[in-house]
Amino acid sequence: MDRRQFILSGIALGTAASFGIGGLSWQRSLQQHNDNRDLVLSALLPALLYGALPQDATLAATELNRTKAAVADFMPFLPQRQQQELHQLFNLLANRVTQLALTGHIAALPQLSISQRLQLLNQWRDSYLSLLQQAYHGLRELLYGAYYGQSEHWQALAYTAPRFR
Amino acid sequence: MMTRHFDASQFTQNRQFEADIVIIGSGAGGGIAAEQLAQAGFKVLLLEEGAWYTRDDFVMQERWAYPQLYQEGAARKSRDQAISILQGRTVGGSTTVNWTTSIRTPSPTLDYWSAEFGVNFSDDADLTPYFAMAEQRLNIQPWPVAPNANNAKLQQGCEKLGWQYTVINRNVNGCANLGYCGMGCPINAKQSMLVTTIPAAMALGATLISRISVRQLHWQGDSITGLDAVPVDQYFQPRSDVRIHIKAKHYIVAAGAIGSPALLLRSKVPNPSGRLGRHTYLHPTVISGALFDEAINGHSGAPQSIYSDQFVWPQHSDKAGYKLEVPPLHPVLMATKLTGTGGQHAALMQQFNHLQVTIALLRDGFHPQSQGGTVQLDDAQQPVLDYPISDYLWQGMREALLSMAELQFAAGAKQVLPIHHDAKLYNNWHEAKGAIHTLPMQALKQTVVSAHVMGGCNMSASVAKGVVNQEGRHHQLQNLSVFDGSILPTSLGANPQLTIYALVWRNCQQLITSLQ
Repeated sequence: MDRRQFILSGIALGTAASFGIGGLSWQRSLQQHNDNRDLVLSALLPALLYGALPQDATLAATELNRTKAAVADFMPFLPQRQQQELHQLFNLLANRVTQLALTGHIAALPQLSISQRLQLLNQWRDSYLSLLQQAYHGLRELLYGAYYGQSEHWQALAYTAPRFR
Repeated sequence: MMTRHFDASQFTQNRQFEADIVIIGSGAGGGIAAEQLAQAGFKVLLLEEGAWYTRDDFVMQERWAYPQLYQEGAARKSRDQAISILQGRTVGGSTTVNWTTSIRTPSPTLDYWSAEFGVNFSDDADLTPYFAMAEQRLNIQPWPVAPNANNAKLQQGCEKLGWQYTVINRNVNGCANLGYCGMGCPINAKQSMLVTTIPAAMALGATLISRISVRQLHWQGDSITGLDAVPVDQYFQPRSDVRIHIKAKHYIVAAGAIGSPALLLRSKVPNPSGRLGRHTYLHPTVISGALFDEAINGHSGAPQSIYSDQFVWPQHSDKAGYKLEVPPLHPVLMATKLTGTGGQHAALMQQFNHLQVTIALLRDGFHPQSQGGTVQLDDAQQPVLDYPISDYLWQGMREALLSMAELQFAAGAKQVLPIHHDAKLYNNWHEAKGAIHTLPMQALKQTVVSAHVMGGCNMSASVAKGVVNQEGRHHQLQNLSVFDGSILPTSLGANPQLTIYALVWRNCQQLITSLQ
């Protein structure tokens, strides 16, 4: 077992154990669960992209869906160990109990306000645990890359890709 | 006509190949070697983990280019995730996606290698004729067009401050000044291995196998006896359902300074010096953004046309030297590197066209406190680079942030943003200077990137101090050569492609003589 995965599991699974919940094993936490990824991205993207997403709710929803699809399309290109770490992060954040250990919030991620979600990301950035810092930077790059990789999202940049052919 | 290209991902059953010479990796080293050896009449087999894409595939979009043309989707990271590493993985390797900067090996670097590693490139071993031949082969010339605004600001800042700067030599022919070199040249102007030596080698009879990952070299006594490879899947992950076995008289490893040591580590080749996969160098790079009133449009125009060597060879040997350059600015590259979240990040992105960005590449490997990183294998036997950053390098990075902010204000910047997660936009040089002095220089707080991976199979005169000799021949295995940036005993203090071309060109001449 990789030491880093062990620490992340250790924090979250330790909390789960202290609540008497044995259902979430280390091995299971490394597996891909698309619903968990979707839940976490649906909660974090509107915070991370606050100020970038369009005001119009329908347009914003379209951009969020496009970004979530881009994340799913990109992840298989990462090394297996990084994919597992991301699966684990999504799984732990999607689980109410393990989420508590990572966020300090008892409320589920989608119930937090946008500013609480941003505050949470900033807490990870400044955490004394390098694992939470890595989660902050890893998610940030993955999600911003996925959003700004889409030519439909470049209006605010006043940038258009050249058309050569 | 015989088939000259196989896409290994199309293989449905185990395959075997034989050749005089098998070359693992088709970048700067493998590409030069393929042409030289094919010209000398050898039956050459050239293997590449990436796909064989050509100009019609290069659509100038990061969302296609990064997953398709780069290692780990351009998201390769050091073990602690503190350093992002850009490395090509496609036919032509990094030469297909680099920014075309072509610089001869600095003489102080060659002097250092001679003193520390006993490799001597003077007199009969002078690299000058090989630089000249590579420059001619790849049309390397000073860029005759005015720099784009992003590079012009670097030039103007240097002029204001009396700092040294140089117009960059580029390997292009018929360049339309588009600015998308990093996504593959859509008009074949860039004289990468993809459009020069590789097609030339294939025309001479060399065979290319793409989408193949070499897993292990087999060896016995002092010789390699064969290699095992597998196809990769659509995400470039090694598959396990089909095996490919290859035999050759001579084996050339040219998989880059992370890939080559990883293959040799997986193969457990003799390593009496203990240096295999160690002393890997990155030119660790820090970034400074600046906002200008006028449009910079850093996405447009030759990405690199000016550099400054003002600080690369400091007088005091206890200071880390750094080279100043600029990167091309594209939405994903910018969005992932700009700091902050939410509205703060969105506001910076809205200034996209007014952002100038300068980078400082630290010259690592020349100091006891700069001994580089270590290539390790993960559970899936894939490489991961552990690169601890020493206080010596952190101090150099702080000085580099200071130099870049000073330069950008001198060039007329309204505000400067050092790319550090605790930094802010600063309104003048005085304010920036004070703030940069107090930034905590720590992994993940300070953004560090690299586009140059070097070392890990370093050359040395003595068997005790390196993995290969001055000709790139393995010290212990007689029919194995390493022909890529991994043989460099330190970083270069200059962008590496031309050094690799010249060294490998020379090493090929030696190899041809010894094999004939």
